[in-house]
Amino acid sequence: MPRYVVEREFPDGLNVPVNADGAKAMAGVIDVNLSDGVTWIHTYVSTDNNRRTYCVYDAPNPEAIRRVGAKNNLPVGKITEVRVLDPYFYRP
Amino acid sequence: MRLLERESDIQALNSCLERISAGEGRVVLVYGEAGIGKTALLRQFAAGQRAAKGLPARVLWGGCEALFTPHPLAPLYDIARQIGGEFPAALETATKREALFNITIDRLARLPAPAILIFEDVHWADEATLDLIKFLGRRLQGLGLMLVTSYRDDEVGPRHPLRSVIGDLPSRSVHRLHLAPLSEQAVATLAEEMGRSAKELHAVTGGNPFFVTEVLAGSQNNVPQTVRDAVIARMARLSEDALAIANLAALVPGRMERELLDRLAPGAGTAVQDCLAVGMVALEDGSLAFRHELARRAVEEHLPLPQRQALHARILAALLERADVPTARLVHHADLAGDSPAVLRFAPLAAERAAALRSHREAAAHYATALRHAGSLPDEARAELNERLSYECYLTDQIQDAIKAREAALALRRTSGNRLKEGDNARWLSRLSWFWGNKADAERYASEAVEILSALVPGRELAMAYSNRAQLGMLEDNVEAALSWGRKAIDLATTLGDQEILSHALNNVGTARMQADQSGLPDVERALKLALDGGFEEHAARAYTNLATSTVRKYDLARANRYLAEGIAYCEAHDLASWVRYMKPFRAVAHLLEGTWDKAAEDAEAVIRHPSIAPVSKITALIVLGLVRARRGDPDVETPLDEARALALPTGELQRLAPVVVARAEAAWLRGNLAERLEEVRPAYELAGKGSHSWVKGELALWLWRCGERIDELDELAKPFALQIAGNWRAAAAAWQALGCPYEQASALADGDEEKALRRALEILERLGAGPMAGMVRRKLRASGARGIARGPHGQTRQNPQGLTNREMKVLALLTEGCRNADIARRLFVSEKTVDHHVSAILAKLAVRSRGEAAAMANRLGLCAAKQQGDR
Repeated sequence: MPRYVVEREFPDGLNVPVNADGAKAMAGVIDVNLSDGVTWIHTYVSTDNNRRTYCVYDAPNPEAIRRVGAKNNLPVGKITEVRVLDPYFYRP
Repeated sequence: MRLLERESDIQALNSCLERISAGEGRVVLVYGEAGIGKTALLRQFAAGQRAAKGLPARVLWGGCEALFTPHPLAPLYDIARQIGGEFPAALETATKREALFNITIDRLARLPAPAILIFEDVHWADEATLDLIKFLGRRLQGLGLMLVTSYRDDEVGPRHPLRSVIGDLPSRSVHRLHLAPLSEQAVATLAEEMGRSAKELHAVTGGNPFFVTEVLAGSQNNVPQTVRDAVIARMARLSEDALAIANLAALVPGRMERELLDRLAPGAGTAVQDCLAVGMVALEDGSLAFRHELARRAVEEHLPLPQRQALHARILAALLERADVPTARLVHHADLAGDSPAVLRFAPLAAERAAALRSHREAAAHYATALRHAGSLPDEARAELNERLSYECYLTDQIQDAIKAREAALALRRTSGNRLKEGDNARWLSRLSWFWGNKADAERYASEAVEILSALVPGRELAMAYSNRAQLGMLEDNVEAALSWGRKAIDLATTLGDQEILSHALNNVGTARMQADQSGLPDVERALKLALDGGFEEHAARAYTNLATSTVRKYDLARANRYLAEGIAYCEAHDLASWVRYMKPFRAVAHLLEGTWDKAAEDAEAVIRHPSIAPVSKITALIVLGLVRARRGDPDVETPLDEARALALPTGELQRLAPVVVARAEAAWLRGNLAERLEEVRPAYELAGKGSHSWVKGELALWLWRCGERIDELDELAKPFALQIAGNWRAAAAAWQALGCPYEQASALADGDEEKALRRALEILERLGAGPMAGMVRRKLRASGARGIARGPHGQTRQNPQGLTNREMKVLALLTEGCRNADIARRLFVSEKTVDHHVSAILAKLAVRSRGEAAAMANRLGLCAAKQQGDR
């Protein structure tokens, strides 16, 4: 399955509290993703008041990412297909 | 023997049943190799229902049998007998399949909910049964029915018709249950319980429960290497009499009924008891069966051929003494007994019965069986069997076989001097060759048919030969040929009073004329009406398709949407699935033009995923998917567009090639290297030629123009394109807006250099989520010195009179749904404080005092209808 980086903009800053509410919100997102075969790997959040996120996903295609984005109320910006480069793999 | 390692599967079945009780629809697919324990699992599940407290769910079973050619709807008749009452008789009297399906669903709806409907071994199902599964599968919601089908996945290849059925089921209601082999530990447990050694057992059996059971039930100490050896080893313990019964039963797929058993082996009580002792089963109604189909096959294959034939002959004779035996069963035994006269008597009858229930695949198989036994028949009779075989193959997409049978028929009719049928077969070969992508043969046979038939008294055959030539003309955009042949067909059909051929011919003529202008529309509309009135379903489907595709190609979205909606609904109601799959990609094109890209992608994806999609349907779907990605700036634009090109090139038809070329040019333009596509666009533009196709030509011309080419024939292009190329972007944008095509409108506005127009373009593009073109417009605006152009789409104020931002709209939508601030914060992943700020801003902008008033105003102004578009 292809891997994607999804850029999202949160003008008000992303806020997911580390408590039962936050856990519930995350579980909800993961459940919805499942319905379209999308797996959320993890996310990098910008330190400027959490305004931008870079989310790493496995998904069957970009349409699936947009579909679950809409269902989850998450903004979807640029989607880029990526693969891994491991610097320590290179040896002299 | 008890069931091991199936707890989670039982649990999955039970939770599906709970969803049914909650009002949802569920289709469960239980699959795995032969002997993996599908039936055992379902029996256990069913037993669990009977033991359940409260109201137990009713379980109804229908099984498909391994007849060489299955009896149409056999599982439904099983189920009807279990439901009882007037249902079985009602099924017998229904001659049309729609009626039969509707009677079935009405009866099932009256069962107390929840009920469980099991179709076993559907890898052997006939076409009508598969259609019934699809029919039921799409109507389960609210019926209180759980539909379970089991099949051997290793016998269902990628082109097996079952794949297509599964592909057509609503994916949300499908639950898949793959049964895995037993673990080494489970096999050891079973061996231990039987006091046997588990050595080699797992390795040899691969954990297949049936194989394991057979081995453990046998007496020898070493492990037999195959299932067959294991079964035969068990049979070796039978007495002579008992073996004779087992051998008979092995030749009756499914089970041997009590009545048949009594006729073939009267007074065999003890022998039957012996059989039970080696693992055969006696069913409640007194019939005898093998515990597993694998065991039956092993015994059957172990019998020497002459003995097998003799036994089949005895079974056939016994069945013939009864009145109620399905003909498919008679054909099966007659064929395997080598009894040609009996095959020739029953196979055509079985084929007609199958065709009446639309089990066309089975009808074809019966005719093929008859032909294998037809060596001694006269030429004319063999020709007729071939003609019927060819027709059934044509209906089931087995085009190569259809061609072969037609060629045989043509040769036979020629030797026997039947010119009429010879000509008609040539006309058929023309149509079939076109389907197979062989244009040269299509042309050759088309002229041959007209030539042969013109020498005879003019009749239906000649009228169809004319209309076929008109159709070929229409398909290759030769309007003149389509019109001249079409008129001949229309005149002759009118003289003959033949409404079907008249509909066919009007359809060809009208569609050809629609390519040039709007004047063909009434002809095709009339063709449609004739087809609907006369119940000519294929012709109606073709008329809807031609109306829909012609209007989509002309950007006439209001008409297109009406034809698409009616046409798709008609074809779905009449099980014309391949026509639905042809029209859906055009609905995707309409969505693309209207700017509803989510829907466009959804329609396109559904078609692309389908396992038996025809290339001509797939091309359009791939183009839409590629364009949606390109316009959004999403990755993987090239895969679908490359595949579309590979599929379109061999057709050589402008209607397939032009859209691919145009899409690839657009995608390259958005990437910033349009020039590399010039060599694809130019030949397509030349192929479009003079005269007709002003829209196709316009699309191609636009990209040539963007490549810097000079376009002289502006008067041959559809108006919006001509305006845009002439540099009149303002009028072009207005024309696109009038047609309801926002992306095209924005692209015309973006050609201009006026700040106001560019800002309008940017606004449209941001609403559509058209990243790349929005970026181009933003760069243009900044370059011209415009101020306040953000780098991205955020912070934009939506076009609404209240001046609410996107974010505020979203908050308002949730507020209208009755969410508290904490809920809104959680659903939008922001803090409660932020929600507070937004709510205050909303109240101020709407000039209201409370959340309640804000919600009421939002509803009144219809503000929340737009919430789906949300952020991009």
